Amino acid sequence: MKSEKNQQSWRYPARWQFFRFDDRLLLIVLGAVVGIVAGLAALALNMGLAALLHFFQAWRAFWWSWLIPAGGAALSALFLLKIAKEEQGHCVPEVVDSVSRYGGRMRLRSSFSRLISSCLTIGSGGSAGPEAPVVMSGAAIGSNIARVFSLNDRQRVSLLGCGTAGAIASIFNAPIAGLVFTIEVIIGEWSARNIVPIAVAAVAGAQVSRFFRGDQIAFTHLQFSVDLIDILACLGLAVFAAAASVLLTRALRYSHQVSHRVVRLPLWGRAAVGGAAVGVIGLFLPDVLGEGYHVIAEIVEGAFMKGLGLIALLVFAKIAATSLTLGWGGSGGVFAPCLVIGSFTGLLYHHIITAVWPSVSWAQGGFFALMGMAGLVSGILQAPLTGIFLIVEITGGYDVILPLILVAAVATSVCNAFEPASYYYRDLMEKGHYRPPRTDARVLADISVREVLETDCIVVPQSMKLGDFVAIVQKSHRNFFPVVDDATGEFLGMIHLDDIREYIFDPLLHETVFLEQITDTGVETVDPDADLTDVLDRMDAQRLFSMPVVAEKRFVGMISKATLLDKYRRELMVQAQI
Amino acid sequence: MHVVMAIAELARILNTAPGTIERWIRQGRMPVRKKGDLCEFSRSALEKWADTNHMRLTVDLPGGKTPVESPMDSLRDAMERGGVIYDVQGHDVSEVLGSAVSRMDCIEGLENKNRVLQSLMDREEMMSTGIGKGVAVPHPRTPLPDMGIPALISPCFLEAPIDFNALDRQPVFVLFVLMAPSAKHHLHLLARLSFCLRNDDFITFLRGRPGREVFFAFMDEFEDGMLSGK
Repeated sequence: MKSEKNQQSWRYPARWQFFRFDDRLLLIVLGAVVGIVAGLAALALNMGLAALLHFFQAWRAFWWSWLIPAGGAALSALFLLKIAKEEQGHCVPEVVDSVSRYGGRMRLRSSFSRLISSCLTIGSGGSAGPEAPVVMSGAAIGSNIARVFSLNDRQRVSLLGCGTAGAIASIFNAPIAGLVFTIEVIIGEWSARNIVPIAVAAVAGAQVSRFFRGDQIAFTHLQFSVDLIDILACLGLAVFAAAASVLLTRALRYSHQVSHRVVRLPLWGRAAVGGAAVGVIGLFLPDVLGEGYHVIAEIVEGAFMKGLGLIALLVFAKIAATSLTLGWGGSGGVFAPCLVIGSFTGLLYHHIITAVWPSVSWAQGGFFALMGMAGLVSGILQAPLTGIFLIVEITGGYDVILPLILVAAVATSVCNAFEPASYYYRDLMEKGHYRPPRTDARVLADISVREVLETDCIVVPQSMKLGDFVAIVQKSHRNFFPVVDDATGEFLGMIHLDDIREYIFDPLLHETVFLEQITDTGVETVDPDADLTDVLDRMDAQRLFSMPVVAEKRFVGMISKATLLDKYRRELMVQAQI
Repeated sequence: MHVVMAIAELARILNTAPGTIERWIRQGRMPVRKKGDLCEFSRSALEKWADTNHMRLTVDLPGGKTPVESPMDSLRDAMERGGVIYDVQGHDVSEVLGSAVSRMDCIEGLENKNRVLQSLMDREEMMSTGIGKGVAVPHPRTPLPDMGIPALISPCFLEAPIDFNALDRQPVFVLFVLMAPSAKHHLHLLARLSFCLRNDDFITFLRGRPGREVFFAFMDEFEDGMLSGK
């Protein structure tokens, strides 16, 4: 039969006999596929950036080279706006938002749009990182592969996670970091069902990277000799790094605000101005440009020979350059700049303690640079596990794991005192869209007003006499009665039995009072498409326990806290199951 | 600022039961320390905590959902405000209502008077306000809160009884024009008036067209009796 054939079509693998009752195997297989594709996308961006870096290197000697980042940023903004027609949002918050509000749905063009735009921004010298765009690409790839195979929301979110894991694993050759980042930041919960496909995708992504680039560690380091005194010094560094994180966050926010307020240019114009400013900084401090991996490599290997003053300047310059790039419309992430700033901060700290206590034999500058990176990343993301595993994997530095854990934990805590949430979640929280799983906000977001509507109210016309109304009250189960216009049927207001109870037994009033005279027309109403959180806030503010729901001036039903409790409990139980 | 207060007081401010507050303190979910029956906390920390958890701090509101309403008037006060009017002229419903409204000093301005009159006529059209025994209670079709007219009753004795299409078909000799700013006031005054009118002695008293002092003295006595009898 035709329907049977459709069921077995390749487009609906979830319905195949093999996968019918347990989709875990399906997700693992698809997860591997997603991981590979996402890994390839990350690789493409990486190679593109390397090529552009090489290309522009020749031109940096010219006096007008500060225009290059300006042009790149402007082109990137134009591309996003006109060609890809995407909004200028930040990548990672958008992915998190998609997971929590849209069941993991993402547009197909997001798979490559940010890759191209960030390539333009960063390749021309903008101070941003390729990681966030790559995360968004990977997520979009996973999401759309899920759409092709007609998977449901839960499966789609898993594949989206597979995409991000594969992307991060590929770009850093760091599978554990990919896995941990996805679980800690993107999905937000450890669920047995998700972990295996995501781990598989991370491995697949890392394999892709190794196939094309060889199994290299991004920043190999010399063996460090770490003593207890160094570990203690790391505590101080953690605070330093936290300060730098907070400074970076505030600078980004400030830069964004200034760009919107001060300059009356179109988006690409602002991006050009920001880029030009970065270019000017880059004329004097070329280490500040681009994603900065080569600078990190130099520092970690101990080949970065600059003085204390210059390094201090570089810390602030890089923070400024990053804020100018990202705050003024450039496209990219904050990850790589964090690594660079962290390295500079660590190196600065090393210089300071060497100057203050020259008799102590401290560990090399490269060691503190690693710790600085961990501190910055953990501080700004407030994701200490991601910070730890990432540094371990990109430097092969498992030998420094003890101070690493310390720095990551302390930096996260110190940052948390100043900034309530991760840089990635801040945007979402401000808009009220931050909905981690199994929280009140998430449960309420999923329930709609229509689902809790009660329709057993008796509607009464405005022209009815009180005497006739009393007969209606006799057979109703409620204390509230919606009153409608005789002619049009439009909702006019409510009659609360509490308000008129003392008068309804007077026979004289039965004959002389009409319902329109005792209707409360100022009653607050709810739209059926309203957000349930808003509705509850309104109920709390006015101490109501139920409200009428009115659509296009017609009474539709009542919404009450009592029914909501039932539905809420059931929703929470259903959402909380693995 | 460091604050110390009873747990019951804190519970009232947060609009929860004292048992809940105690449990939250024990579970470490609140930035509050317990000392016997008292609790200790920093004001700013608690306000921040309440804000994060979407809780309102009710400092003044005793818990009622409507703001304090003006107290309900007695019939006597309402009638004093409306004023007793004698010898209202007219041969039919619209004429007497027109004369009554024009002579009511409590309604100021021609525009207002016209508006009130129109509303009274609308109400009469829905159904006659002649409730029997020669009495009618004309009132606006819907309360008119925006006219600034307080709750009042205007007893208007007609020059000659007219047919008001009353329920018991008897001609009406007195109108109690009733104005109220809200449905609650309206119902309250109407209910009180209806209680009075059930008493035949009152009707007989009215038929005698008593003078103002006598009328109000009677009303005082009658209302006191009504309240104590209730």
